[in-house]
Amino acid sequence: MFEELSLHILDIAMNSLAAGARTAQITVAEHARRDRLTIRIQDDGCGMDEATLKRVLAAPVSTKRHRKKAIGLGLALLRQTAEMCGGEFHVRSAPGAGTTVTATMQLSHVDRPPLGDLNATILALCAANPAVDVQLHYLGDTERFHFSSLERAEKKVASRPNPFWSGEEKTNYEPGRTQKVERESAAAGCLA
Amino acid sequence: MNLEELKKLKEKAQRQVALREGNRKYRVVVSMGTSGIAAGAREVMKTMLDEIEKRGLDDVEVRVTGEVGLEDVEPVVRVEEAGGEKTTYARLDAEKAKKIVAEHLERGKKVDNLAVGKEKKPE
Repeated sequence: MFEELSLHILDIAMNSLAAGARTAQITVAEHARRDRLTIRIQDDGCGMDEATLKRVLAAPVSTKRHRKKAIGLGLALLRQTAEMCGGEFHVRSAPGAGTTVTATMQLSHVDRPPLGDLNATILALCAANPAVDVQLHYLGDTERFHFSSLERAEKKVASRPNPFWSGEEKTNYEPGRTQKVERESAAAGCLA
Repeated sequence: MNLEELKKLKEKAQRQVALREGNRKYRVVVSMGTSGIAAGAREVMKTMLDEIEKRGLDDVEVRVTGEVGLEDVEPVVRVEEAGGEKTTYARLDAEKAKKIVAEHLERGKKVDNLAVGKEKKPE
């Protein structure tokens, strides 16, 4: 069991690098109003076929592991953490189409591990393979930013007043919409 | 955590890239599989990068690998010398990592009490 969510992220993203990803996108969305924490690790690596995916998602395999057979354990640990904290866990993958791992948690859940040192996680990933574009999209209630180790998508989004306090209705965070919104805003940045 | 901090980290990582292309004397390989991460490999690696930078060692590159089959003695770090000699250090923490940088990587003296396994002489 990992004591920090950022360690889970490092563990899962290391698999992305092993899958030959060129880009690994890490999204951390804290939504206090909906009491939800969403973590997504999305890569454009080799992906998994259905059989492999099924095997990987089966209950934690034996801890008696041989070299290179950590298959299953990292995901199983994250799933355990997510489900323990009133959340859900999904993996979407297809051969050649990359893999997306999403875990949600109840933000205020008493068992929810802290995010921990995300910086150290990013540093470790950059050092692991500098050719991979490691992106971090942090979407908090008051602060948002996008980091890219290869500067393809880096930008800081102006912090907005917390709608929780101002009473203003806030667009719900929709998984899957992140990228599109970013591209639009990136394009807007180019035009400006 | 904020964007500025992350940018500084990126610079640190980029210096590492430059090292990979230049002349190097030592290569440090940190085991960063699930077991390594759970045992604290991330902090060990971060400490080593900080310490290498602090001491201005420009002939050391730091890399990361997956499971190395030493799950019970993680965190594990392997130091490879340009000549081919390899030393494996196990059960590390931040303090021990600093010691390895100071003794082995800076002065070229192995830290015998932290090393495990048989010495592998270059073939």
